[in-house]
Amino acid sequence: MSRKQPRAGGSAGRAVNAALGAAGLAAFLALGEVVPRVGIVKARYFPPTSRIARALGAEITDGTFWTDLGDTLTGWALGLVIAVGAGIVVGVVVSVVPYLREATASTIEFLRPIPSVALIPLAVLLYGTEMRSVLLLVVYASFWQVLVQVMYGVRDVDPVAEETARSYGLGTWARVRHVLWPTALPYVMTGVRLAAAVALILTVTAELVIGAPGLGARIAVAQTSQAVPEMYALIVVTGLLGLLINVGARSVERHALAWHQSVRGEVAV
Amino acid sequence: MRRLLAGLAVGAFLVAASACGSSGGGGASDKNSSSGGTTTVKLGVIPIVDVAPVYLGQKKGFYGKHGLKLSMTLAQGGAAIVPGVVSGQFQFGFSNVTSLMIAQSNGVPVKAVVNGVASTGVTGKDFGAITVKKGSSITTAKDLEGKKVAVNTLKNINETAVRESVRKAGGDPSKVKFVELAFDQMPAALDSGQIDAAMVVEPALATVKSQGATEIASSLVDVAKDLTVAMYFTSNQYAQQHPDVVKEFQEATAESLAYADAHPDEVRQIVTTYTTIPAAVLAKVTLPKWPAEPNRTSIETLEKLGEQDGLFKTAPDLDKLLP
Repeated sequence: MSRKQPRAGGSAGRAVNAALGAAGLAAFLALGEVVPRVGIVKARYFPPTSRIARALGAEITDGTFWTDLGDTLTGWALGLVIAVGAGIVVGVVVSVVPYLREATASTIEFLRPIPSVALIPLAVLLYGTEMRSVLLLVVYASFWQVLVQVMYGVRDVDPVAEETARSYGLGTWARVRHVLWPTALPYVMTGVRLAAAVALILTVTAELVIGAPGLGARIAVAQTSQAVPEMYALIVVTGLLGLLINVGARSVERHALAWHQSVRGEVAV
Repeated sequence: MRRLLAGLAVGAFLVAASACGSSGGGGASDKNSSSGGTTTVKLGVIPIVDVAPVYLGQKKGFYGKHGLKLSMTLAQGGAAIVPGVVSGQFQFGFSNVTSLMIAQSNGVPVKAVVNGVASTGVTGKDFGAITVKKGSSITTAKDLEGKKVAVNTLKNINETAVRESVRKAGGDPSKVKFVELAFDQMPAALDSGQIDAAMVVEPALATVKSQGATEIASSLVDVAKDLTVAMYFTSNQYAQQHPDVVKEFQEATAESLAYADAHPDEVRQIVTTYTTIPAAVLAKVTLPKWPAEPNRTSIETLEKLGEQDGLFKTAPDLDKLLP
């Protein structure tokens, strides 16, 4: 699960990468402007970039937009924190107790592939259109991402290191802290990064389908109102949110694993 | 760093534990939050023009006068509203009459309490219609035989209505190919030729018309004159436990419906507060009718047609369903 990034020439390489990225985005936006204008797709259903940008401008000056954005971010963050916390605790406990792993393996494999959106009727019956419905779906979807990574991570512990720790008389807690956790951390970080993205997707989906307050519900209202540019503007916002979350998760990962060889790429292994 | 992460993990676990704890007990307690003689009731609605009267009534203080404060929740259609009302998440909901009859015939304990919205009853000037693309060869509902017609939900009120239009035009409704499509997707689908006709309601109807589409039938009018399309409902349990709240809600809503019917300009204004319907579209939207009383004869017709088309397992009991 280690992530090796090509590091072409430090800051100069990074500047080139950034320029290329910006150029790609600019080309995409220009395409979005031209394609509807020349009539390849109908501007009524796929408005040009400038029209979407104008709608976006109107959205961000609207106070209720920020309330909805706040609701979405709260649902995302709370769901993610619960899923990560529960995933780590359950993952470590299940992995270190041998019988537990045997007893839960088939159950986990059965529950994991159930799509979270299939739980929407249950969420509605339990919590209506409140944020708790969103949390139910978000936590269910993100929990497995973390749990499975934690279990892989724990399995990856070097038996020699483990035996050495034992022979030095380290207790269970000390072994978890000094042997198991450093080995598992890169896996956990991957799990958290995946869970962060999944949590956002599920937050918006739940709001869209159930109608819990947030950006998703706002998209749905724009859609039923035949306000097409506004709908795309809000979709762009969710895209930007996903981008920010991914960048954030990667930076957290880099900091948390600064000591790890996958990040300290310059050390010969 | 490691200590920080360990701290974070523990913190996350505590948040998880407390969140689970609070979600366990919260369900029942917020059913009726009264403060100073005002009861807050949760109402599940759809973000469409039809529910404008309750927003208007709230603003005008009709509900406040009856000791009620409405807390509107915009849900995405009946998928969330009926289960929400039955499970007690909402005290009242808004749903079309066929959905309520289907629910009742399936043993779901719902009870309609007050009228919701009605067709204008005027052919060619209703808030719902079968539309075809500009220049289409289809000119009457009879021509829909063998064609693809979009309705928002299969086996529901709009399918019944389209079938009746075809029948009245002398066609065979069993030859129509129905496809399920959300109202907001119908204009694009009609324009691109994915469907031959669409049963649309406002504001999609105004959008379709602005594309030059033509109406071939006012299906809701074809079912019955002044058809009651949707109603506000509650669960049997809530109706039994809180007859006083239901009564106040009925009276306040009836007053709001009458007010909305008489003040179309204020209706168009209030709609902008809970939808994002563009001003140009909103100006062209045909408003429905909001009579204070449901039209029982029209509902009976709708029920008979539904039965004929196999919508119900057992015939719904209208005496139990209607107020």
